[in-house]
Amino acid sequence: MTVAPASKNTQRSPLRKDRDPAVAQRPKRKRSEASNFSIRMGQLALAAVVLGAWELLGRVGVIDPFFFPLPSDILLTVWVWISSGFVFPHLWITLQESVLAFLTGAAAGLVLGFLLARVRFLERLLDPFLQMFNALPRVVLAPIFLLWFGLGIWSKVAFGFTLVFFIVFFNTLEGVKSVDRVLVDNAKMLGASEKQLLRHVFIPSALTWIFSSLHISVGFAITGAVVGEYLGASAGVGYAIAQAQGVFDTKGVFAGMFILMFVVLIIDLLVNRLERHLLRWRPVRSS
Amino acid sequence: MTHPFQPKSSNYAVELNGCTKEFATPGGGSYFAVRDIDLKVEPGRFVSIVGPTGSGKSTILNMAAGLLNPSEGTVHSFGEPVHGVNRRASYMFQQDALLPWKSVIDNVSLGLTMAGVSKAEAYDESRRWLEKVGLKNFADRYPHQLSGGMRKRTAVAQAWIVNPDILLMDEPFSALDVQTRQIMENELLQLWQESDKAVVFITHDLDEAIALSDEVVILGAGLGSTVVGSYEIDIPRPRDLLDIRDDPKFVELHREIWGRLKVEVSKTYESAREEEESDAA
Repeated sequence: MTVAPASKNTQRSPLRKDRDPAVAQRPKRKRSEASNFSIRMGQLALAAVVLGAWELLGRVGVIDPFFFPLPSDILLTVWVWISSGFVFPHLWITLQESVLAFLTGAAAGLVLGFLLARVRFLERLLDPFLQMFNALPRVVLAPIFLLWFGLGIWSKVAFGFTLVFFIVFFNTLEGVKSVDRVLVDNAKMLGASEKQLLRHVFIPSALTWIFSSLHISVGFAITGAVVGEYLGASAGVGYAIAQAQGVFDTKGVFAGMFILMFVVLIIDLLVNRLERHLLRWRPVRSS
Repeated sequence: MTHPFQPKSSNYAVELNGCTKEFATPGGGSYFAVRDIDLKVEPGRFVSIVGPTGSGKSTILNMAAGLLNPSEGTVHSFGEPVHGVNRRASYMFQQDALLPWKSVIDNVSLGLTMAGVSKAEAYDESRRWLEKVGLKNFADRYPHQLSGGMRKRTAVAQAWIVNPDILLMDEPFSALDVQTRQIMENELLQLWQESDKAVVFITHDLDEAIALSDEVVILGAGLGSTVVGSYEIDIPRPRDLLDIRDDPKFVELHREIWGRLKVEVSKTYESAREEEESDAA
């Protein structure tokens, strides 16, 4: 949970590369198309080998199926959770919490990010406090939020908010501040007011940064919800996992993990779609 | 400094009086980029500023544009003191300054739409300009899909569409190959001749400066440089830039001005070499 500043740094270098059209266009299109199929087959084979080995070693007793339940059993549990409809109310609660945490956190991060990037005084005033809150390992907030907001969804929303906010905030701040000086000067010479600068230059320019943070912050919103549920709740996927763990049902723990994994993958795919649409002016990277 | 006539000071399109620009360094010190610059550009005149690298050419232009405030001295435009951005000027930058997330036509129409012109009207006007610069089939492209020359044409249209009285150009064609550059210069000259705009053109290429201008201003070497000479270019117009370099008048002017510029260029070179040697020692 305290990885926020680190992940902020690691995003920086690949992003910069993407911006440079010369670098971005380099991948050889033809070869990647030709080998696409064999890569997919390789991936399938790899998954089959790992899962097969896991299953096999479990069946012959090399690894203990109590701690590492057989993949077939996990799949069965997933199927039972889905077909009986057991998991859906939990999933619904978790998604609600995640979406609310994401929306509020991202909105606050965007607004404060733009504000501080444009008003130097505010940035200097608030900087130490923001650094302090960011340095705080966010998990320790979960108990206090439970006391403040109760076992319902709002304690998880508050927890997810603190995770999402800082990622979006720091990326927005950096994105606005790193806008190319020439673009700003050019817009100014063409008669842009402060509002028009924001709309035509700063927001679009910061979008690449904001989007790279969206991927991570969507993940964090869900993390926040699940961890919050795990620590204390009456519903949600995290709660279901905690319940399964309470009765030593490792199959249930793994089933919850797999379900969460796929949900996050689907959400990330949707974010990708949105990103591709909003950043369509950028040079095509590959494929 | 021979002006054919001296209009009232209020009539100059660009007027810099005793302008000095001092920049702070990160270490807490400061240095002078330019010192005591006097520059007067009459409306409708094409004036080039030539100087060795690092002589503060862009600083002068940025002061005229109102993007930089002089540390000392005053900047006037048509009699009005320049505070903030000079509203009567357009600026063509050395780097790519098109907004990469806007299509060509959105980039060109930007100045109009931001001034409150309706989108339909702005698009009509933009199409006219795109046709003028030979890009009418590229209106929906994004800047990264254009060649360097096409991007410059777009920038020309973007700067001219707002119909400014002054055009400030900072080595606008320096990134282009020689052929494209000559074509662009020719087109620029054509556009300018049809208009009554004042142009302040920055370049380090003396050929380009003489070929285009009514007046060539030479800047001295190094930091804290100032104007060391000003030459009237009386080659008759219209000029054909593709052949102008063989014109005897061009050759003569070139020899004269280069004689002065050479001194400054070698000063820059000498000081750069001394610095290198002292660094090495």
